[in-house]
Amino acid sequence: MGKWGTPMVDMSFITNWLMFAAILGLAALGGMFSERSGIVNIALEGMMLMSACVTALVGGTSGSPIIGLIAGLVSACLLGVAHWALTQFYRLDHIVSGMGINLFAYGATNFIALSFIKPEVPDQFLPIPVYFWCALIALAASWFIFNRMRAGLRLLAIGEDPDKARTTGIEPVQVRLWALVFAGILCGLSGALVVTNSGGFGDNLTAGRGFIALAALILGGWRPVSVAVACLAFAAFEAAQIQFQGSPILGYQLPAAFWKSLPFLITLIALAGLMGRTKAPAGLGKM
Amino acid sequence: MRPLSPSVRLGILALTCIVIVLIALITSGANPAQVLTTLLTDSFRSPTAFADTLKRFCPYMILGVAVFWALRAGLFNIGVEGQFLMGGMTGTVVALQVGGIGGVLLGAVAGMVVGAAWALPAAWIRAYRGGHEVISTIMLNMIAFQLSNHLVAGPIMDPDAGFPTTRTLGPQDMLGGVPVGPITVNWALILAFGFVVAFGWWLRKTVAGYELSVVGANPTAGSFAGIDVKRTTFAALLASGAIAGFGGGLQAVAFEGRFYMGFSTGYGFDALGVAILAGGNPIGIIPSAFAYSLLQQGSLAVQTLHVPPGIATLILSLLVVLFSAIRYGKVGHANG
Repeated sequence: MGKWGTPMVDMSFITNWLMFAAILGLAALGGMFSERSGIVNIALEGMMLMSACVTALVGGTSGSPIIGLIAGLVSACLLGVAHWALTQFYRLDHIVSGMGINLFAYGATNFIALSFIKPEVPDQFLPIPVYFWCALIALAASWFIFNRMRAGLRLLAIGEDPDKARTTGIEPVQVRLWALVFAGILCGLSGALVVTNSGGFGDNLTAGRGFIALAALILGGWRPVSVAVACLAFAAFEAAQIQFQGSPILGYQLPAAFWKSLPFLITLIALAGLMGRTKAPAGLGKM
Repeated sequence: MRPLSPSVRLGILALTCIVIVLIALITSGANPAQVLTTLLTDSFRSPTAFADTLKRFCPYMILGVAVFWALRAGLFNIGVEGQFLMGGMTGTVVALQVGGIGGVLLGAVAGMVVGAAWALPAAWIRAYRGGHEVISTIMLNMIAFQLSNHLVAGPIMDPDAGFPTTRTLGPQDMLGGVPVGPITVNWALILAFGFVVAFGWWLRKTVAGYELSVVGANPTAGSFAGIDVKRTTFAALLASGAIAGFGGGLQAVAFEGRFYMGFSTGYGFDALGVAILAGGNPIGIIPSAFAYSLLQQGSLAVQTLHVPPGIATLILSLLVVLFSAIRYGKVGHANG
């Protein structure tokens, strides 16, 4: 025991921090692809939940963690494509469609888990560092795509003004399909990491992390590096909450609920424009 | 790609939904017809089951109005769940302190005030700062979960209980009802009915209701016609929160009698679906809230057939999507 009662930083803090940052970062980058193409996406949570459930189920029954992960990613992509079809072809309000997908994922995963996941079958997951690398690659790749690649710039153009993009010969609906597939893959990876970390699937396993990722996306102003910084900050709160559980900081006993609420509180303050304005893609929600 | 006609499109969507439900029903191993019958009719099996259905019906109607109110102004109040929780918690604490019929009244009013207070940041941010209400209300929901779970596991917890709950109100401290045959219809339910009807009247027959609809339909036209769009937006979200909080307080003093972890089984989120399924007319909230109550009650009963309760949520989510597609699906060129 040192002067501060507990050591300020230790290895478990670092691993927890990286873990939560990777979970949030993957999902937030997924959300970025969707929202920068103009599709509002509150369905990150649902895509993560679905992937977590399917990864656990297929990994366990097939005995192959790779097949499990691929199945999880495919399931999340299917939900992404559903969101694309509902908003682009059926003209559903993006919020209604996202809400429907979240509800569907909640009901379907409860159904799948209770019907098909057998407790006696051992779960099969890929080692966690794989996901850390995925998160780093995803960050580098999205920076590269949005800053250096023609496809990324086209996507940004659509998100800012779909009509102008159309006059230059870009088909917004097609580009958005790819954007939603990317969102599905990234949210799928995030969900798979959640279930790998917890060691098995349970109802509502993602516990609102998709919404924290959404908050990080907004706080980071829809830009890859800023979003990653926001995710690191939010993850630090969550890791700190585990680290400092029950131990007073400078004489104050802060409840776990405070640490858990902090990311949401900060996002509210940022939304109120009290931390400088972030600019949303101008074409968000437009056809 | 050649655009499909809207009806073909809707047909494809409907077919997909039906296939998903059928796959779920068949893979569950139970008899699909039996599962569907149980889902829809379990509420009428016994007086207890019907009473439980009514216990859901009441908040679905009130929260349905809360969501509908904001939706008419073009706003998505996703925060109904958090406002309902905060209202329920405050209502319980106030009713426990005051007691008697005064406690019932003050509890419901306290719920209303706290619900409005919980919507206030979202209303202000949306109307005067330009931040989207969906994001702010999601954030406020998460804070409400954390805060209510924290308080009910500590400061307001019944020390004699083995799990996070407040003390329970005695029957004399709760809202009674009218006996109808084998069941008791709580006054709260009658109030909720009246409330939906009154809301429908308000929306159609008053200037304020008309202004609300104009702001929702076309804010630019509204402001040219002299409507203070910001004030209307602010008031709509605040009213929505007040109604949701009132629903929480009422649920505490009429049905639950206590606040505990799991006080809401997702009423606020379901209410979004209730309002969407209601269509354009507020009176539609009554049948759509009843359908929600039936399916949620039935979801508990299908477990005796070894079918997970998630089947009800799954069916409801598909219904909401399908119904919205029918309402939105007027135009349809593939490439806009």
